Amino acid sequence: MVDGAAQPAATPEAKALEGRSPGQLMWIRFKRDRTGVISAFVVIFFFLIAAAAPLIAKLYGKNPYTVYADERPELFDSAGVPVQPNGGISSEFWFGLEPGNGYDVFTKLLYGIRTSLMISVAVTIAAVLTGILLGVTAGYLGGRTDYFISRVIDFLLAFPAQLFFIASMPVVVSLFVSPTDETPVYVRVVALILVQWFLGWMSLGRVLRGTTLALREREFIEAARVSGAPPGRIIRRELLPNVVTPILVQGTYLLPNFVTAEAGLSFLGVGIVEPTPDWGQMFSKASTELVMQNDITYMFFPGISMIIFIVAFNLLGDSVRDAFDPKTAR
Amino acid sequence: MSKGGRHAYAALSVLAAGALVLTGCSKGGSDTGDNKKQDKENAQRQQATIKFGDAADSQGPAPAVPGAKSGGTIAVPQRDSLAHLDPAQIYVSNESQIAQLYHRGLTGFKATSNDGGEHEVVGDLATDAGTTTDGGKTWKYTLKDGIKFADGSAITSKDVRQTFERLFASFINTGPTFIQQWMANTPGADYRKLLPDGPYKGKHLPAGVLETPDAKTVVFHFKTAHADLPYALGMVGYAVVSQKGDTKEKYDKNPVTSGPYKIQSFKSGKSMVLVKNPNWDPKTDPLRHQYVDRFNVTFNQQYEDSTKALIADSGGEQTAVSLQNSVDAGNLAKVLGDPKMKSRTVKGYQPFVGQMNINLSHPAMKDKKVREAIAYALPVSPFQRAYGGGEAMEIPGGIISPTVTGYDPNFDPWGKKKKPAGDPAKAKKLLKEAGKVGMKLTFGYINSQEGQSYSTAMAAGLEKAGFDVQRQEIPSESFYDQVSKIKNNYDIFNTNWGADWPSPSTVIPPLYDGRTIADGASNYSQINDPKVNSEIDRINKITDPVKAAAAWGKLGEYIVKDVVNVVPTGYFKQVQIAGSKIGGVAYDDVIAGIDPRRLYVK
Repeated sequence: MVDGAAQPAATPEAKALEGRSPGQLMWIRFKRDRTGVISAFVVIFFFLIAAAAPLIAKLYGKNPYTVYADERPELFDSAGVPVQPNGGISSEFWFGLEPGNGYDVFTKLLYGIRTSLMISVAVTIAAVLTGILLGVTAGYLGGRTDYFISRVIDFLLAFPAQLFFIASMPVVVSLFVSPTDETPVYVRVVALILVQWFLGWMSLGRVLRGTTLALREREFIEAARVSGAPPGRIIRRELLPNVVTPILVQGTYLLPNFVTAEAGLSFLGVGIVEPTPDWGQMFSKASTELVMQNDITYMFFPGISMIIFIVAFNLLGDSVRDAFDPKTAR
Repeated sequence: MSKGGRHAYAALSVLAAGALVLTGCSKGGSDTGDNKKQDKENAQRQQATIKFGDAADSQGPAPAVPGAKSGGTIAVPQRDSLAHLDPAQIYVSNESQIAQLYHRGLTGFKATSNDGGEHEVVGDLATDAGTTTDGGKTWKYTLKDGIKFADGSAITSKDVRQTFERLFASFINTGPTFIQQWMANTPGADYRKLLPDGPYKGKHLPAGVLETPDAKTVVFHFKTAHADLPYALGMVGYAVVSQKGDTKEKYDKNPVTSGPYKIQSFKSGKSMVLVKNPNWDPKTDPLRHQYVDRFNVTFNQQYEDSTKALIADSGGEQTAVSLQNSVDAGNLAKVLGDPKMKSRTVKGYQPFVGQMNINLSHPAMKDKKVREAIAYALPVSPFQRAYGGGEAMEIPGGIISPTVTGYDPNFDPWGKKKKPAGDPAKAKKLLKEAGKVGMKLTFGYINSQEGQSYSTAMAAGLEKAGFDVQRQEIPSESFYDQVSKIKNNYDIFNTNWGADWPSPSTVIPPLYDGRTIADGASNYSQINDPKVNSEIDRINKITDPVKAAAAWGKLGEYIVKDVVNVVPTGYFKQVQIAGSKIGGVAYDDVIAGIDPRRLYVK
């Protein structure tokens, strides 16, 4: 056997050619993308500090609710502007103190990121689930259901989202609150999630409907149908694994959008309000004349952290998309 | 000036979305200069009782402003448009301030010093501040010779009669009501029954109330003594109205004016042009000047915008000055930190006093220990911070402002001057004694930028003392309507009140007389204390202003210290800035702002 001699040499090669799942392929491709990996680390870092905010605050020994302007009046002038330069940055207050009531900026930023990310993640999950449910249903069932769901999507897409948020937030909040009590924070959070979810799922739903529509006609689905698999099984075992890519890609684009939308609402004063820390609300504080004229440093902390987060998350989204589907041009 | 307080502080605060210039890091804040001493002097100068001037003091022309020149145009950026031009409808402070230029009354407050700190009440249209022979029940005024309306017609006692009789007509509904109530001798809105349709259906006030025996003489008759009449007549709300030109409701759009300036054009919400009135004779007017040819007033100019323009001081802004707008809180430190800019500023007290009302109609608030605990625990420093610091707000002691007679700078029952952030330890002890630690306290706050800022910090301070504070926002447009309802949910809420003239008789009776409790009334804390009620009646009868001031002062201290229905949160102050070519700028304590009557262009 002349060829036999070549056989052993080919063995390691055969090992390398071992079948890989699309997931593994994606992972290998993703690891090669340096921007993607760095972005992933940045994003993970943000989620980590958000999750560990109470722990960090405890180690640091402060919380974002203490009114330092009243606790430590010697650090402020009578208008609440920190006396020390650069917004009162010191070894004690790492990121300085907020002009006005004098909240600690470091813990406020941590908790603010936490609030914003929690809300955005919740909205993303809700929107993705709704998108899958309605998009796949419309695509798979077709006909009248498809028509109906598609018109709902068209209708909701035509809504002016920002205006709708601003107008409906106070209404949704007032649905929950008793007249003698303060509006609890969770009510505002739930209202923010509801309002954003309501207008947040359509783009994903539409993409999934299209993908499902195309997949439905493919041979392997037909084969499953002919072999007698019930629709539930077809959707779970045949369709869903094939729409993971658009879900992941769309999801990574949705989340930063929700973060900025949530920040925008809080900036406009209809989202999370003082004293609950929030990313967007810190911007709103930073844009007041008091901060602009007296303590511009304050603006850098929420500003730079948000820019880093949004850019990193969007780059990550691009990398995920490239890794899954290298042939598609962006 | 109650309503002025409403409008000025209920107004929406607007976010200035300016462009951010990254010029590197920021410097820290600083308290500009040592103002403690000057504040004390300000306060002292204002405690001096305002005297009634005699006939010589009431003669025109007004003493010349040093260095004044004639001619030129002054631009006046104002935040709020004027809702009323009819003098009888004018009560709001920004309206009465500018109306000094075009409306005249029987009396007026004449500044006897160039810094606007000392005043006396003199006759404006009348020859003197008024004469009484029976301790304030009967007041006689004689009109000057040569006084004319802007249309050239002479001002006679008929016009004065019209001025007062039309106050009883139902369309006059936003002006002051003191003199009407005195004439009818009833509190509240019942005074209208005296002359239900005003003078428009042929009926007139009887001679026992208002007498005009000849064209020059006006006599007021009251059932009880009202020593304050000359002060009250100095309000723009009682300025003279032309009988011939009285067009009832339409007068509000096109009044017949009498001051040194007349209204050439007025566009609500946009602009107003004031030009010289040739029929005004300086020899008849002890209060006003006519240096400037023209005032170009523009409305809807926010504090931030007018301050930025006046700071820049370029071109047209050099001859601009805002009568209403203060330097905004954000720019205050910058303006006062620069000696050049600081020299263009004037500052002084506004008549308003902030006070945290404790709602006595709620059962939980009837426990005095709880109220004392609130008084000790409540931080007032957040209130000062929210309005821009020490130059915009002074830490208070009592409810009587430094601009009002009867003020005592040493009165400080809850130790706020030493501990503006509150005394949670003492409060907690009191709350424990009352057995109410952890009690719920509903705090209604005005949903403005300031309100959000001070309410969170105040809540934090009260929570340290053991209260469970529930903050509730109230829209700024309806804030005073909500909190002046008899049945409201709020245990504590902050309101601001200003004296109408520098006497506590315009502060204590409207705020603390238990017999005035009603929906929409200004007794916000719903106090009904028999001692306070009887003292109000007693002091109202005192005709000696000095004795009355002392008695009011004592009553004010009793209310704050022993009734504890309100906790004073701040004395409002302001800094105003003028363009570099504006002369004669002085902060008038009675007008509570820049005096428009003495301005000239350098």
